[in-house]
Amino acid sequence: MTTIPVVYVKGQYNHLIVRNLKDLGVESKLLPPSVPLGQLESMSPDALIMGGGPQSVRSPDHLTGELADAARLIRQVKLPMLCICVTHQLLATAFGGVTEAARKPEFGPVEISVLDEGQILEGLGPSFTAWESHNDEVVRKPDGFQVIAKSSNCSVEAMRHEKRDIFGVQFHPEVSHTTKGVELFKNFLGIVEEHKRT
Amino acid sequence: MGERLSVAVQGFHPSRFLSEETARLRELTQGRKVISAVSGGVDSTVATLVARQALGDNLLPIMIDTGLLRAGEPEQVKERLSRTPLSLKLRLVHASGRFLSSVKGETTAEEKRKKFRETFYQVLKEEAEKEACEYILQGTIAPDWIETQGGIKTQHNILEQVGIDPATTYGFKIIEPLADLYKDQVRTLGRHLNLPSELSERQPFPGPGLLVRCIGNLTKEKIRVLKEATKIVETSLAPFKYEQYFPAVIENKFAKDPSTKRISETAGEALGLPKSEVHTEVFEDRVTGVKGDQRCYGLLAGVKLSEESRETYGWLQDRLRQLQRGIVEKFPEITRVTLLVKERRNGGPLSIIVRAVSTRDFMTAAVSPVPWKILKDIGQQILKEESVSRVYYDITPKPPGTIEFE
Repeated sequence: MTTIPVVYVKGQYNHLIVRNLKDLGVESKLLPPSVPLGQLESMSPDALIMGGGPQSVRSPDHLTGELADAARLIRQVKLPMLCICVTHQLLATAFGGVTEAARKPEFGPVEISVLDEGQILEGLGPSFTAWESHNDEVVRKPDGFQVIAKSSNCSVEAMRHEKRDIFGVQFHPEVSHTTKGVELFKNFLGIVEEHKRT
Repeated sequence: MGERLSVAVQGFHPSRFLSEETARLRELTQGRKVISAVSGGVDSTVATLVARQALGDNLLPIMIDTGLLRAGEPEQVKERLSRTPLSLKLRLVHASGRFLSSVKGETTAEEKRKKFRETFYQVLKEEAEKEACEYILQGTIAPDWIETQGGIKTQHNILEQVGIDPATTYGFKIIEPLADLYKDQVRTLGRHLNLPSELSERQPFPGPGLLVRCIGNLTKEKIRVLKEATKIVETSLAPFKYEQYFPAVIENKFAKDPSTKRISETAGEALGLPKSEVHTEVFEDRVTGVKGDQRCYGLLAGVKLSEESRETYGWLQDRLRQLQRGIVEKFPEITRVTLLVKERRNGGPLSIIVRAVSTRDFMTAAVSPVPWKILKDIGQQILKEESVSRVYYDITPKPPGTIEFE
C-alpha cells in the first residue's frame, strides 16, 4: 500500500486531491501543515502532496502561519513532493525564486503548453486544458529547478527539481475539468514507486 | 526513465462505504432516537436511507418548509418519499413565516445565509426538544464544509467545521454520514440503495433555497417571479441533462461607475466588435465568486450586444468564454459576466439571469452550451411577466463564479 498524506492549506480543492489518490488505490488523508514531523513519520508516508490555499506568498518574510508551517515541511521532508497552486509558489520562494501578483490572473480553463514532459508530464504534451484559480504567479524560477510547462499568461506553469523528486504545478490536476489531471497523478505515483524501490 | 507503472482508477465502493458507515452510526447512537433533516434533495435523502439501514425506526425524518422552496415542492417531496420503495414517514414542519421574517431587510449574501442558518437550527432545536432527541442527521457533503471553512460562503448546514459547537448552542449533536463524499459519489450510493432515478439524478437545489437566487433584498414579488421563471427554465432545459440549471432574479439598479465604458471597450476587443456594438452595465447588487481560493463578493456585468451581433455570438460559446475572461482578467472587481438574451422596453424593474453548468463534483463548473434558440425561447416566456424587463445568460465558469449567485 502506498501512503500519501495531503497538506491542507484551506484551498477549495485540497480534499479533491485525497479523492484522486483514493480513487487510484492510495491511502490518503488531509493533514494540517502544523503536523509535527514525528507524527508525519509515524504514518510512514511514501510522498507528500501540498494543495492550494487562499493565502499569498508575495512577501516571503511575512507568511501566514499555515504557509510558514508548509514552508517548514518543504524544507524538512525528504520524500517525493508535489506542490500545487499556492504551495507551488511557496516551493519557488523557499528555493530562492520570486512570486508576484500576476499581470493577468487566471480563473477557469487555461491552455497549458508542455515544454519538457519528463516523467511527471509524460503523455500530457504538447498541450492540454487545465483549470486554474490564482491571483499570484511565479515570475522567476529558483536555481536548481527546470520550467517544464507554461501558458500564454504565466511563464512557470510547472517546474521540477533537477536532482530530487520535487515538482510544482500552478494549475489544478485534481479538478475533474483538467483534462489530463489523473495522468499527472499516475505519473507522480510511478515516481513514488521508483523512489520506494531505491 | 523506469518502466511505466500501470495504475487503474478504482473509484468509490458504495457497498464498502455502506457497511462501514452503518456500523459507525449504530456504535455512535446506541439505540437512541435521531432526527433526520430532509430537503428532498439527493444528499439528505441518501443520508436518510443510509441511516435508516443502521437505525430503523429510531430515525425520524422531518422536512422544514422554509417558504423558499420551489412551487409545490414540500408536498411533492413528502409524497415521493412516502411511496415505495422508500416508504419514509416524513413529517412536514411549516416555518415559512419565520424564515421570511428572519431575512427581512437583509441585502448582503452572507447576512442572508447566516440568518437562514440561525432560523434553521432554531427550528431543529424545537423539534429535537419535542422528541427528546439528542442527534440531528444531515446530508452535508464535502463541498459544503470546504466552501464554508475556506470562507467562500456560509452553507446553512455547517457548524462544527467553523467552530460553532451545536451541543452547547442548540442542545444536540450533529451526524453527517456523507461529509467525505462528493455529489457524484452520493448519486452512486443512491443508485446502490435503489433510489428511484428521478431522485438519484435530481439536480441540486441549495439548502437556503430561492433565498440565494433572489440577489440582494428579498421581496415577495421577486420570489413570486423567481418561482415562475424556475418552472420555465426547468421545463425548457430538462431535456439537455446539464448537471444544474436555474434562474436568479436581480433588480435593475446599476452602479454609476465610470469604468463601464472601459468594460465595454474590453468586451468589444474580446469579440472583435466596434464599441458602438457593445453596451455594458454593472449591477449594484453584488454576487459571490471565488478567485484564487478567496471569496470574491464582486460585481456582475451585463453585456448587451447589438441585435445582429447577439444573433451571431449567442451561438459561439468559445467567443463568449473569451468575452468573460477578457473582462474578469482586466477588472478585478468583476466576478461574473452575463450576456443579454432578450429585453422588453418599458418593462418592469427586474432582470432574470439564466445559469446552466456542467460539472462532476460541483467544485469546478463549465458553462453549459445552451443553444441560443432555446435561450431566446426561455427569454420570450419569462418576459411575459410584467415585472421583468430583461433576461440574461450567465457566461461565467466556476471559478471565478460560484454555481449559485449568493
